[in-house]
Amino acid sequence: MVEFRLPKNSTVGKGRIFTAAPGATNVKNFRIYRWSPDDDKNPVVDTYEIDLDKIGPMVLDALIHIKNDVDSTLTFRRSCREGICGSCAMNIAGENTLACLKPIRDIEGDIAIYPLPHMPIIKDLVPDLDGAYAQLRSIDPWLKSDTLPPPDSERRQSIEERAQLDGMWECILCFCCSTSCPSYWWNGDRYLGPATLLAAYRWIADSRDEHAGDRLDALEDPLKLYACRTIMNCTQTCPKGLNPAKAIGRIKELQLERKA
Amino acid sequence: MSNPKKPHITVMRSQLSRARGLGSGQAGVGHWWAERASAVALVPLSGWFVIQVFRLAGASQPEVAKWGARPFNTTMMLSLVILTFYHTQLGLQVIIDDYVHGKAHLPAGLLMKGIVFLLGLFGTVSVLKLALAGSSRGKVAAG
Repeated sequence: MVEFRLPKNSTVGKGRIFTAAPGATNVKNFRIYRWSPDDDKNPVVDTYEIDLDKIGPMVLDALIHIKNDVDSTLTFRRSCREGICGSCAMNIAGENTLACLKPIRDIEGDIAIYPLPHMPIIKDLVPDLDGAYAQLRSIDPWLKSDTLPPPDSERRQSIEERAQLDGMWECILCFCCSTSCPSYWWNGDRYLGPATLLAAYRWIADSRDEHAGDRLDALEDPLKLYACRTIMNCTQTCPKGLNPAKAIGRIKELQLERKA
Repeated sequence: MSNPKKPHITVMRSQLSRARGLGSGQAGVGHWWAERASAVALVPLSGWFVIQVFRLAGASQPEVAKWGARPFNTTMMLSLVILTFYHTQLGLQVIIDDYVHGKAHLPAGLLMKGIVFLLGLFGTVSVLKLALAGSSRGKVAAG
C-alpha cells in the first residue's frame, strides 16, 4: 500500500538556529532540510537568519551565502545560476522550482526549503535522480531516422514543423514536474513521469524522426503513460513555464488515433 | 564508507533495467477511452433519470410500474445502470492501481470487480423485473 506517513527514520526533527549578526535590520528566516548519510540521525530542519541586505535577490543567493559565510556543511546542487542547467531544483515554500529563478521577495514569512519530494536523498538538498535519468534514457531521447541525411547538409524541417517543438525543446530536465506529481510519487517505479513523457513527445512530434510508432508502442502501458491522472501539478510547477500535461495529452490522443 | 553498519544491498540491477522493467503492457488505451466515453454517455442518462424521478414524485406504485414498463424507459434505465457500474469499476481500478501495490493488487482488483458486477447485476434484474412484471401487476391492482 501507499505510505501516507514518513517512515520512522525519515521523520523530521528540529535543528539548530543560526542567528543573524547583531545590527542586521532586514532579516529573513530560511528553514532548510538537513540530512547526512554519515550518521544515523533523522533529518532536521535548521533555521538560518539571513540579512537580506547582504545578499542577492534570489533564493540561490541566500543558499550560496549560507554555504560561504554561515555553515559550510550545507549541501546543494547549483551551477549556472540563471535557470538553464536545472541543478538547483528544490522545493521552496511548498513549490518545486529553481532556487536561482525564485526571488526571495516573492515569498512571505519564513522560507522553507526541502529537496525535491519523494526522491531518495543523497545529502541535505541533493536528491538521487538516477532513476529519473534512467527513465529518460529508456525512451531513447535522440533522433532515430532510417533515411540518411543529405551528404552535404543537415536534415531540414519546415518552419511549421520546427514550430511543433516549441514548448518542449526548452525543457532543462530539472525534474520539478515529475517530483511534484502524486502519480509519480505512488508509482514512480513504473510511471515515467511528466519530464520523461514531455521528452518522449518531443521526439514523437519531431518531423525528422521516423520512429514515432515504436515510441508510441513503448509508451502504451497502463502505468508508463496512463498513470497520468491529469492532476496537472507538472504544468503548475514548471519553472520554465512549459506544459508537460499538454504533451502527455497529445500522446494519449495519438495512441487513440492509431487504434481507429 | 565511514558507516560501519553498511546495509546489505539486495538490488544491484541497473537503473536502466529497472526503468525499462517488463516493457510496455500494450494496454491502457482502451481503458482510458472507455472511461471517458462512458462518463460522457452518463451525463444525459443521469440528467434524464433525475428529471423522471422528479416527474414521478408522489406517484403510486402502479403508476411507477407502468412508467418502468415502457420500452423506452426500460432501455434508458438499463443503459444507465449498466454504464454506471461499468464506469464505476473502471474508475475504482484506477484507484487500486494508484494505491494498492505488490501482491495485494490483483486480488483487490478482482474483489472490487466482483462486488461491482454483482451490484450492477442486481440493478439490472431490478429494472427488468419492473419492466416485465410491473405492467401486469399494475393491471391487477387497477382491476
